[in-house]
Amino acid sequence: MTELLQATINGVAIGGFYGSVALGFSLVWGVLGVINLAHGELVMVGAYLTWIMHRNHGWDPFAAVVVVVPVMFVVGYVLQRMLINRVIDKPHLTALLVTFALSIIISNVVKLRYAGTPRSVRAAWSGSWRHGDVTIPVTRFWVLVFTVVLMLALWAFLRYSRLGAAIRAASQNREAARIVGIDIGRVFALTFGIGAALAGIAGMLASPLLPVFPTMGPPLTLRSFAIVAIAGLGRIHGALLGGIVLGLVEQYVATYVPEYGTTLGIIASFALLVTILVLRPRGLFGGLRPAH
Amino acid sequence: MNIRSTRPYAIAATAILGGAALAAGPAGATTEPVGDFAGTVRVGAALSETGRYEREGEDVRQGYDLWAEWVNDEYGGIRVGDDRYGVEIVYYDDESDADTVANLTERLITEDEVDFLLGPYGSDLTMGSSAIAEQHDMIMVEGNGASEDVFARGFQNVFGVLTPAGNYTQSALQALAEAGAETMVIAYEDTAFPTSVMEGAQRWAEEYGFEVLAIETYPEGVTDVTAIFTTFRDLDPDVFVGGGHFNDALLFMTTADELGFEPNAFVITVGPSNPEFADELGELAEGVIGPTQWESVMTWEDEYFGTASEYAARYEERWDEVPTYQAAESTATALTLQLAIEAAGSLETDAVRTALQELDVETFYGPISFDETGKNASKPMGFIQIQDGEIVTVGPADVAEAELIYPLGE
Repeated sequence: MTELLQATINGVAIGGFYGSVALGFSLVWGVLGVINLAHGELVMVGAYLTWIMHRNHGWDPFAAVVVVVPVMFVVGYVLQRMLINRVIDKPHLTALLVTFALSIIISNVVKLRYAGTPRSVRAAWSGSWRHGDVTIPVTRFWVLVFTVVLMLALWAFLRYSRLGAAIRAASQNREAARIVGIDIGRVFALTFGIGAALAGIAGMLASPLLPVFPTMGPPLTLRSFAIVAIAGLGRIHGALLGGIVLGLVEQYVATYVPEYGTTLGIIASFALLVTILVLRPRGLFGGLRPAH
Repeated sequence: MNIRSTRPYAIAATAILGGAALAAGPAGATTEPVGDFAGTVRVGAALSETGRYEREGEDVRQGYDLWAEWVNDEYGGIRVGDDRYGVEIVYYDDESDADTVANLTERLITEDEVDFLLGPYGSDLTMGSSAIAEQHDMIMVEGNGASEDVFARGFQNVFGVLTPAGNYTQSALQALAEAGAETMVIAYEDTAFPTSVMEGAQRWAEEYGFEVLAIETYPEGVTDVTAIFTTFRDLDPDVFVGGGHFNDALLFMTTADELGFEPNAFVITVGPSNPEFADELGELAEGVIGPTQWESVMTWEDEYFGTASEYAARYEERWDEVPTYQAAESTATALTLQLAIEAAGSLETDAVRTALQELDVETFYGPISFDETGKNASKPMGFIQIQDGEIVTVGPADVAEAELIYPLGE
């Protein structure tokens, strides 16, 4: 029984992190209709920014948010204005190609500057809380808390602010939004900037959990795909739930299957993705819809 | 705005950019041999300049280049009979991918028409690359693929200068057993090299009387080992033996710290002997033991690069960093090829192969002589421990500079 509890705790913890990664990816796809294959690389850049602050200035990774958010927002805004904007109304394949090329460029630029050596960051809140036979890793707990707070903040922003309303309008019906006077170009740029900032925060959360290196992006982008398929597009709570489902599947299999469990867990989570898409092509909760 | 839009051009330009970024472009040869040489020995090497082995791939390249520059600029060229030949290395980036390295090896042989091949980094890539070499009857000398599989195929043309994987943990486990350790857990990446190391570890565990409490595997590129380490922690073993590559080593130590997993010793295959490991992990790296093919304090010596520490000084001056064993074994690999060519007095494959089979030398890297499968049968494995943030050689006993600390006190 404690084994199940422990596996559940582990799954929720890592799932919270996966959710934070999927958040920006889902937002950008849902609002702009762009599948950003460079999303994992934006996460990676956020992780490197955190490592730089940690390494050179001794900052705790959680504190790095004050640097990561503005920097990544600006990066995202500029990227959207200069590059992504040009491919928004083009066929999906164009956007895929552009963001794919972008992912290669970003990871190689980082590699040139910082070499391929994996980097490590340690949070002040580390170690674990032991309660009998059950362990709760401290850093992961705070990552989960941070993710939940982030989601609440994002939800509140989209629900209650003018800009949030504009973003929701643009994602529902672009033409109608234009007609009522919403500056679509600006909304898209802001949304992509927010998506990049979210990716950066995910990277910041990743840095005490995973080794940080230039090619860490693609598996994270892949998991974001899986989460969006499970939970639906542009649904904030969906990103967290989807992340947790993924995390639980991985951890249950890893815990209960001796020797090969970890590998099998990863297989299982993607097998889940395939099964869901085959049985329910619009995603588990119906959120995936065809392009605009 | 003209209706004849710029769209097709934008797509084409992007596709070309993306495609060009993807293509394994030629990474350029080394310093063209400048000087009075009767000819050039062209050597091919597919290396990992990108991908998960980019760190190690860089070490290998620097090792090969150090040799090539020394041959061309100081040694006066490889002796082939009465002539002196300059050396040129043709490199490609294998992107740490097994299929890519096989394709590139084929390209080196058939298009670039190199004379010999130097091996890539990692057992999985060496497997593929050497298979192509054998197919074309081209000699490959390698120094970074230690898995036993590499040598188990009955190939004639593959020679490995490093201690094979099965023996990686032997000396460390023997020392730990003598220090009183009795129980062990094992976790490894399920690819060729770590699997070989851990199969060897299980053999040595049995030989030295260890009880193996659990064995877990994980896939390459794993991002989470919580389930594994939670299990291990609850088993409370004396020794943790783990294997993969540098990434995993970092992940192990941070996860162990997170979960409060505190065995009396950590033995990790790749990572600890690289200065960046202690650099990145700080106090988390303290006391970790790592097998090492080579350390600069070891007493090996040859007439070309001098002692191990003289080699290290030369490397550091050239590359502005301390050589890892991956770099040293790469230079030793190239040096071995050179010595075989000189012994054979020719560039003919058969003659050089025979020379390799009969080779028996001591180099700055250690003794090199090959058994009938192409393994270096004569080189013992060393191991280091991180003590006070420093990499300290603690075995084998006759070249150790300090004593093994066991158990790790808190």
